Amino acid sequence: MTSISEIEFEAKGADAAQDSSARVEGRSQWQLTWRRLRSDKVAIGAMIVVAVMVVLAIAAPVFVAITHHPPNIAYPNTGENVAGNPVGPGTNGFWLGTDGTGRDLFIRILYGARISLFVGVVTTAIGTVAGVSIGLMAGYFGGIIDTVLARFTDAVLAFPYIVLALALAVVLGPSLSVIIGVISFFAWAGIARIVRGQTLSIKEKEYIEAARSLGAGPFRIMFSDILPNLLAPVLVLATLYIPQAVVFEATLSYLGLGIQPPTASWGNILADAQNFYQTSWWYVVFPALALLITTLAFNLLGDGIRDAMDPRTERVLAGRRRRRRRRAQVAATSGGSPDFPDSARQATQG
Amino acid sequence: MSVLPADGAGPASAGTDVPDGDVLVRIEHVTKHFPVRTGGLIRRTVGQVQAVDDVSLVIPRGKTLGLVGETGSGKSTLARCVAGLIPVTGGRVTFDGRDITNLSRRAMRPFRRDIQMIFQDPYSSLNPRRRVGAIIGDPFAIHKTATGNERKRQVQELMERVGLNPEHYNRFPAEFSGGQRQRIGVARALALRPKLIICDEPVSALDVSIQAQVLNLLTDLQKDYGLTYLFIAHDLEVVSHVSDSVAVMYLGRIGEVGPEGAVYGSPRHPYTAALLSAAPAADPDTAASRQRIILTGDVPSPIDPPSGCRFHPRCPKAQPLCAEQEPQLEAKPGDVETHQTACHFPVVPGEDLAAAAAGRSEVA
Repeated sequence: MTSISEIEFEAKGADAAQDSSARVEGRSQWQLTWRRLRSDKVAIGAMIVVAVMVVLAIAAPVFVAITHHPPNIAYPNTGENVAGNPVGPGTNGFWLGTDGTGRDLFIRILYGARISLFVGVVTTAIGTVAGVSIGLMAGYFGGIIDTVLARFTDAVLAFPYIVLALALAVVLGPSLSVIIGVISFFAWAGIARIVRGQTLSIKEKEYIEAARSLGAGPFRIMFSDILPNLLAPVLVLATLYIPQAVVFEATLSYLGLGIQPPTASWGNILADAQNFYQTSWWYVVFPALALLITTLAFNLLGDGIRDAMDPRTERVLAGRRRRRRRRAQVAATSGGSPDFPDSARQATQG
Repeated sequence: MSVLPADGAGPASAGTDVPDGDVLVRIEHVTKHFPVRTGGLIRRTVGQVQAVDDVSLVIPRGKTLGLVGETGSGKSTLARCVAGLIPVTGGRVTFDGRDITNLSRRAMRPFRRDIQMIFQDPYSSLNPRRRVGAIIGDPFAIHKTATGNERKRQVQELMERVGLNPEHYNRFPAEFSGGQRQRIGVARALALRPKLIICDEPVSALDVSIQAQVLNLLTDLQKDYGLTYLFIAHDLEVVSHVSDSVAVMYLGRIGEVGPEGAVYGSPRHPYTAALLSAAPAADPDTAASRQRIILTGDVPSPIDPPSGCRFHPRCPKAQPLCAEQEPQLEAKPGDVETHQTACHFPVVPGEDLAAAAAGRSEVA
C-alpha cells in the first residue's frame, strides 16, 4: 500500500519541467481586456469621441479666450439679425451661430457639456458605490437583510422615476445638488440587483470559505474577496449608466426643473431652441447632436468593454476571422463560388 | 496508540488512557443536522439531513487521523464543524483543552490561527482575481501579524518552503498548474504556524504523480513544524500513506476506528472490508487473486437513515438484530483497545465475505 512513493522520483522531474515552462510572463485580466478592446474599432472610435468631448468640456474657457464670447453674455448687435433672430453658423465669429438671446451657441454647448458630463460621471460614481455596497450586503448576509434590501431595490426600480424627480425638483427647488441626488437615487438600484445576484453565486465558492476559515470578517470578505470578481460587470454597467444619466439630466433641464438659465445645459438649450426651429435650424441641431454623439459614444464604449471583458468574444472574433480567411483562400484557389463550393460541385456533376 | 474514541462513546471507551496534554482535538458526540425546508412563502421544516450523527473522535498532538468514507458520508461536514465554519447541532469540540463549540466569530478568532484548512479543489479555493502574494499574505493581513515588506518576505519564505518560486509572488492563480495551486493553498494554511491543519481531500483533484508530491510535502511539513492533521480522503491508499490512525465513516456515523495497520490489516466492520476490497491494487499479481466484496443497493438517504446499524440494508452479514439495535463503537475480542468497531457481528479474520455478499445479491 505504499506504491505512491515509487512515483515520487518521476514526479520531481515533472515539477521541474513545469517550472521552466511557466516562465512566460502572465497577463492580468485588465491587460487582456485592453488587448481585446484595442482590436475593436467601434469601441476605440467611441473612446476617442468621449475623450474629445471631455477635452472640449475641460477646455471650454480656452475657447472663450479665443472667441471672446463668454457663455452668458448676449450680443444683441452681432449675435442677432435685423428681425431679432439668431445668426447662423460662421456669422460674425460665431462658429455655430447664436441662440435666441444672441449668445454664442458653440460656447454654450461646451459649457453644457461640462454640466452634462459632470452630472453623468458624479451620479454614476455615487450610484455605483451605493449599488455595489447594497448589493454586496444583500447578497452576502442574506436572510432578513437581503429581504429588506432586495425589496427596496425592486421598489426603486419599479418607481416612475420621472414623476418622483419632477416632484422632488418642485418641492426642493431645482438646483445642481438636487439633480445629482435624484439621478443618483435611481442609479444604484440596477447595479445593486446585478451585484446581489453575482454575490450570491460567488459566496458559495471555496475561496470564500477559505477566507472565513482564516478568520476574515464579513466586510473584508465582501470588499477584498468578492468585489474584485465583480469589477468587470460593474464597470460595464457604470459605463452604460453614464449616458442614461446625461439624458436624465437633459430631460429634467428641458422640462425646466434641472439646470436653471442662464447656466447652459443641453436640456435647457434645447428647450429654448424649440421656439426658433423654423428659422434657425442650427439652434436645435447642434445641441441635439452633442447629446446624441455623447450618449451614443458612451453606449458603444460600454458595449465594447463588455465584449472585451468576456473571454469568449475573442474566440468568436478569432473564429470569424479564421472562417473569413479560409473562404478567401477557397475563392482564390477554385475561382468559383466561395460560399457554396459543395453545391457548385454537385451542380457540375448533375 | 494514536486515535481513540472520546470518553463515553461506548461501554468500552478507552479514551481515558490518553493524557489530556497529548490530545489536541477531542470531538465528543458531535451531531450536525441540516433542516430540509419546503419552498414557498411559509417555509416549514419537513425533515433533517443527518449529515453527522453522534461522532466522537480524538486526535493526538502531532499525529494524523485519516477520515475515509464515500461521498455523502459526512466527512467534510465533520471537518467544517471542527474548523468552526458551520455550527454543530449537538455535541462538543475541544481544541487544546478549550471548548470551541459554536463560538462567535470574534471568540473563534484566536483559534483561527491554530486551526487551518486545506481545501479539495485547488481551482475554486483560490480567488482568481487576486495575486498569489495577496492570497498567501491574507492570514498575516487578517491577523495583523506582519505588514509591508515584512509580510512580503514571509510570504516568499512560505512559497519557497512549499516548493514554489518566490519570484512568482505577483502572479495570478490561473498561471499555475493544479499541483502548484495546491501548494499555494498549503502555504496559506501554513502561514500562521497552526497546530491543526484540516485537509479536506487535499489531493483528490490532482494527478497521481502530483498527489505524491503534495502528500510528501504535507508529511515533511508535519515533521518540521509538529503539525497535527485531520486528513479526509476517499482514496484508501492516500489515507494509508499519511495516517497514523484511520476512522471509517458511513452515513454520518463512525463504523470503525483504529491504528492504520490494524484497520487496514484486519478490518472488523463489513463496510471497511468491502471498501478495502474495492480499492484498486497497484500490484497486478495480488489484484488477480483478490476477492471483491460487491455491496448491493445504494447508500440510503441521510434524511431517513435505516434503523439500528445504518449499514444493515447493504451488509452481507446482517441479522435481524442489526435493524433493531444500534451497535456501539467498542473494541472487539482479539483487537487492541484502540481498534474499535461498531458492529454486532464483526468480520472474523479469514472470513469469506465476498461469498456472503454474492449469496445475498442472488437472494435480492
